[in-house]
Amino acid sequence: MAYQVLARKWRPKTFAQLVGQEHVIKALANAFASERLHHAYLLTGTRGVGKTTIARIMAKALNCETGITAEPCGVCSACTQIDAGRFVDLLEIDAASNTGIDNIREVLDNAQYSPTAGRFKVYIIDEVHMLSKSAFNAMLKTLEEPPSHVKFILATTDPQKVPITVLSRCLQFSLRQMTPQQVTGHLHKVLAAEEIVFEPLALNLLGHAANGSMRDALSLLDQAIAHGAGQVEEAGVRAMLGAVDQSYLFDLLDALAAHDGPRLLQTADAIASRGLSYEAALHELANVLHQVALTQAVPNALADDLPQRGQILAAAQALSAEDTQLYYQIALHGRRDLPLAPDEYAGFTMTLLRMLAFAPAKPEQISGNVSPAKPAQISEKASPAQTTASAAPSPAAPTNNVSTSTQSAPVQSGATALGKPEQATQTIPAREPIQAATPKTESAPTYDDLEPPPWHSEAAEAIYQASEPAPQSVAEPAASVIESTPSASPVRENKPAESFNGDWRGLVVQLKLGAAGMLAQNAELLGYSDIHFDLQVAEEHRAVATRDYQDKLRSALSEHFGRDITVNVNIGAIAGETPAIMLVRENAARQEVAVAAIQNDPFIQTLVCDMGGTIDAASIKPL
Amino acid sequence: MSNLPYPWLEKPWHDLIREGDRLPHALLFTGEAGIGKRALAQHLAQFLLCESPNKTNQPCGECDACRWFLAGNHPDFRLLQPADADEATEDADTSKKAKKKSSVIGVDDVRDLADFVNLSAHRGGTRVTIVVPAEAMNTAAANAFLKTLEEPPAGAVFILISDHWRRLLPTIRSRCRVFPLTIPEPKVAMAWLAGQAVVNPLLHLAHTGGAPLAAAEDAAAEWLPVRSAFLEKMAEPATLNVLQLAAELEKAKLDTVLILDWLQKWVYDVISLGMAGVIRYYPDWQDALERVSPRARLLLGFASQLNESQALAHHPLNQRLVLEGLLFGYLDALRGQDRRG
Ligand SMILES: [Zn+2]
Ligand SMILES: [Zn+2]
Repeated sequence: MAYQVLARKWRPKTFAQLVGQEHVIKALANAFASERLHHAYLLTGTRGVGKTTIARIMAKALNCETGITAEPCGVCSACTQIDAGRFVDLLEIDAASNTGIDNIREVLDNAQYSPTAGRFKVYIIDEVHMLSKSAFNAMLKTLEEPPSHVKFILATTDPQKVPITVLSRCLQFSLRQMTPQQVTGHLHKVLAAEEIVFEPLALNLLGHAANGSMRDALSLLDQAIAHGAGQVEEAGVRAMLGAVDQSYLFDLLDALAAHDGPRLLQTADAIASRGLSYEAALHELANVLHQVALTQAVPNALADDLPQRGQILAAAQALSAEDTQLYYQIALHGRRDLPLAPDEYAGFTMTLLRMLAFAPAKPEQISGNVSPAKPAQISEKASPAQTTASAAPSPAAPTNNVSTSTQSAPVQSGATALGKPEQATQTIPAREPIQAATPKTESAPTYDDLEPPPWHSEAAEAIYQASEPAPQSVAEPAASVIESTPSASPVRENKPAESFNGDWRGLVVQLKLGAAGMLAQNAELLGYSDIHFDLQVAEEHRAVATRDYQDKLRSALSEHFGRDITVNVNIGAIAGETPAIMLVRENAARQEVAVAAIQNDPFIQTLVCDMGGTIDAASIKPL
Repeated sequence: MSNLPYPWLEKPWHDLIREGDRLPHALLFTGEAGIGKRALAQHLAQFLLCESPNKTNQPCGECDACRWFLAGNHPDFRLLQPADADEATEDADTSKKAKKKSSVIGVDDVRDLADFVNLSAHRGGTRVTIVVPAEAMNTAAANAFLKTLEEPPAGAVFILISDHWRRLLPTIRSRCRVFPLTIPEPKVAMAWLAGQAVVNPLLHLAHTGGAPLAAAEDAAAEWLPVRSAFLEKMAEPATLNVLQLAAELEKAKLDTVLILDWLQKWVYDVISLGMAGVIRYYPDWQDALERVSPRARLLLGFASQLNESQALAHHPLNQRLVLEGLLFGYLDALRGQDRRG
């Protein structure tokens, strides 16, 4: 095991070698160069961005025998000992594991004694938020009256959990995630130095896969070198990452648009036979859907040189904006649920079938005209594919604009023929006539004169009716449920509101956000003042918390309130509800009521029993 | 020479060995349960510890180190697993399907391990630790493991095994080389099962989604009649007596996770058959599935509910109540009433 992994071998030893943290490095280097020292520093940032690395360089900068410096020499005994991890006055504590040091409290209590070898006694405490209470107290004691020979360098991935008493005594630096370009550039350098042959596109793939962490990037690079038997090629890296050939993703979207269940599963099989990862497939499918939605909202949004440009444009035509949004949500949920399925294949294909189920259905699919998939008929023919052949509908052209006129749908005529017109018109789960009735009952503005928001999930989808707590109101009649649904009455006023009453969701529908609406919809409002909004976005929706969207949201808010407003977006667990969660929950409740109403309808029951027809719960729209 | 226990491990084995000196000190074997990840890890551990001067591609099986290893008492080898894991079964990968409930690997276990890793080796310097299943480490244990994993003393090698690697801390994952094992070719798996005197290998492979070790277990399981009775009831929702069935299942003293697995697979098959014409897990129940599959779409919500239940299934809840809730949920879903109990 002589081989040293690249992440370790290439751990930067000087500030100059660090990649991507220029803002922090500059500040630190200036401070060290001018010997303006603080006694405690706190480095924050996600995993793998270089917190520990910077802390160790700082320790050298403080103790280098050439003097306090921004450029530690790297050759004196202090520098070499720190690099080798055996400098007596550097104490590295990993608060997460409490390893290395038996009693942190005791060690911190000893801070008062002078250093043995160096200028400063340096304490690097990693994941400091996980220190025990007694350890924190010991540290605080020192922080309150710091001896001049003690320096604390604290690091954490979760600064919110660091006690304010500690925070307030630290000079804080937040490290950024590295961009794929920065990562790729560094990998380039490493490979050149290691004299390893590579294809540049392979490095791009790795740069993206590393998610902003240089450590991850170097681990992946190690893996890629091994995988490619000493060289790094694009095809090999693609295979190694389980990166899915994009053409599969468009095949999936095609099959969805064509409402073709068997083809959907055949494509899934093809992905499996190539040994590709379903996790990656769902991730990339979500990305593609995101691009499709962008294109639907902003037709010129796609870069001209994007390789899949043509396919994305075609998908944007083939899918309705509503379905795209829905599929995106389902893909995200599906990824989350992947480990809970019997196996990954099942988790992946179930996600696809969910998309299929919630795609618009043709009215005749649901009505009595269903080509009745008679169980008897199927069991005689062994091939189950026949089931689908008869039941799968052809794609219905989805309509986004709901017209207010009541169309006479085939369903109704069929029902009349059967002699139960009243019930049928009320409850038949045909999409069009019932939707058409909705705006009427509410006398609210129709949707067609609103710019269709790209992430508008109004039509959605009791995607996860089971995964959202069913509210009490389920038992109420459908009508009242709808009245209590704020989203059902879109506000279209242009006059800016002066003050904000805390109704984030109500506010969001008033903002002109375009694609940035996705950020607003998936954000929970943590707190606000006249000039500031604090938002929280769940990790799984991180993709929508882009800088662009944040900027868009900020300017929309500023415009709305007529003053400059700042916005802070955190990534973290959602404790309350986001507008998106509320909507899904409400729709689930509405869906339940609607489904129950239909199922209890004797006419439908007869239909199901006698004709072997199926009730398509997904297509039932609330009244 | 010691040989690989399962033929489908040949390729992954050669992929590993090919790396020679570049083999990293921390590996994470991922893949479905019941495909031999643990056997591969054991083989690799033996290989790394083998002291034969002429070993090339396989551990020699004859040197002191190999003999100790095979006898289970090599001083430089550690197996870190939950305290109550079933050590007897070679394929403990599949413990999810077994009766025993696996507990956690705690922070004390990891600290003990740190002692083992940091002490000098008894023999050549190599010390191998297998952690199985890695997701059994609780958060404190996983955190305690991080530093050891990133900068272990020379000669220390860790092989982590996980059926559900997404449940691992990202920091653990990123410190390991992920080595994914895929479901073996059906042909290879079937031939092996036939060699194990499994009567209907194709069927049992289907029951386990293609995982051969799990399939062998499936073929020999004591609970087969319980599952058959269970599926029969699922096929006849009109006459399903929920309370009675839940009581019967409780009496069988099986793990909730196992019963949930049956139900998840059943529901999957109903949906998949109804919407795409394909049966994945229970081809032997085709007639029954076809009776229910016209209502496939009604079960989609219920399928998510099952996922959620699977996430909670390790919690010590009253099994009968849990099962009643699930079975009522199934009926409600089929009736188009997604009422949550
Ligand atoms: Zn120096
Ligand atoms: Zn040997």
